[in-house]
Amino acid sequence: MTLSPRFNLTVGLLAIFCLAAIIHILVVLSIPHNVQHSAYDNVAAYGPDRQFNLLPDIRPGEEALPDLDPAMKHATCRFQLDNGPVLFDASIPVSFWSIGLFNAAGEAVYSLNNRTAGAERLSMLVLTTEQLSILRENPPENLEDLIVIETEEPISGFALLRAYVPHGSRATDVDQALKAANCTGI
Amino acid sequence: MTDQSVSHATRGPDQGRADGSSFSESAWYGEKLPRAIRPYRSHPVRTLATIALVVVLASLLGISTAYLLIEREQPLNAVTIGPWHAYPKAGTADADPYSVAIYTRGAVIPLANGEGLALVAREDSAGQQLDPTCIYRIAGQTPSARLWTLTALDGNGHLVETLPGRGNLVSSDLLRAQDGSFQITAARNPHSGNWLPLAAAAKASDGLRFVLRLYDAPVTTGAALDGVSVPLIERTGCP
Repeated sequence: MTLSPRFNLTVGLLAIFCLAAIIHILVVLSIPHNVQHSAYDNVAAYGPDRQFNLLPDIRPGEEALPDLDPAMKHATCRFQLDNGPVLFDASIPVSFWSIGLFNAAGEAVYSLNNRTAGAERLSMLVLTTEQLSILRENPPENLEDLIVIETEEPISGFALLRAYVPHGSRATDVDQALKAANCTGI
Repeated sequence: MTDQSVSHATRGPDQGRADGSSFSESAWYGEKLPRAIRPYRSHPVRTLATIALVVVLASLLGISTAYLLIEREQPLNAVTIGPWHAYPKAGTADADPYSVAIYTRGAVIPLANGEGLALVAREDSAGQQLDPTCIYRIAGQTPSARLWTLTALDGNGHLVETLPGRGNLVSSDLLRAQDGSFQITAARNPHSGNWLPLAAAAKASDGLRFVLRLYDAPVTTGAALDGVSVPLIERTGCP
């Protein structure tokens, strides 16, 4: 079965590389399933679900969540569509704010900023297709004015609201506006 | 003992034929046949050891390459413009497995498409690694955006203590030339004009990263990233 020592070595090396490639791919694919703290878990540390929780200011060594902008103030809200639709409602009196919706895996589902929202006030309804059809039978008055985000599955996830603080003197205003932001059912 | 082995080795062909051993089974296993047609005799221990060695080496190679790629924290499908890299697909459902692994492992919440785009620089325009003890000049124009911020981070992406307490610059507070271009000096010690403070107590090994976050920028909402103007990063001096 053995042709020559060099042949054996070649077969051995090929086997090592093929197996290494398979293991490499398996390791990379398995990392997302084995992380200890996902962004969805981390957000829970700042307060109860289904309400906007103000994150502490971003300072060196005490960053609430990784990779946030120190020029902004942030508030997060965790939600599960299994428990009913979520209505985001906020009025933030600064020149720039944005909101990103992320699922439990940390993928962006939807995002908008105060220009694309088309109004000064953020009012956005997130719900499943099924919940929307139930809602349509007896629609609330302001359904036409809401930004409606439909998801196919009842996702769990979180929203991150970013508000620009143009100057230190505006910080308390922004804090108040973020604390007053709603993330509740209809 | 020595005599016996010598006599065995020097046994001639005539002697072998005389006792008929070249037609016996044991002669098949002799060293005289070419390797390819020599019958196979199994060596279970040697086979097992070989398989174990292959598996161990392959695991080491596979796991270490995966670790190195993930630990680099640089997703593979980067869009590169000058010294800046952007990862517009990272953190979305279309992301490649490497950036999914990097982002979920770091629990990073990306800047989503509708919010803006983050550009990261780890090297200057000449291709040299950024060094927090040096002085850099960041000049030019940014892609159009309603608001942008420039932040100095260490090599691991964390904020650092600086002399004035801030580590970032905001577009609205910037001094600009008449054509809208700007010049920023990134240094540890105060500079006139637009000063981006770097870490107050940093060693070269701490690393440096500039993050340019463009908020509400058309480049994130469909317009191509090619051909946009980005600021240059020049090293002007090192201690």
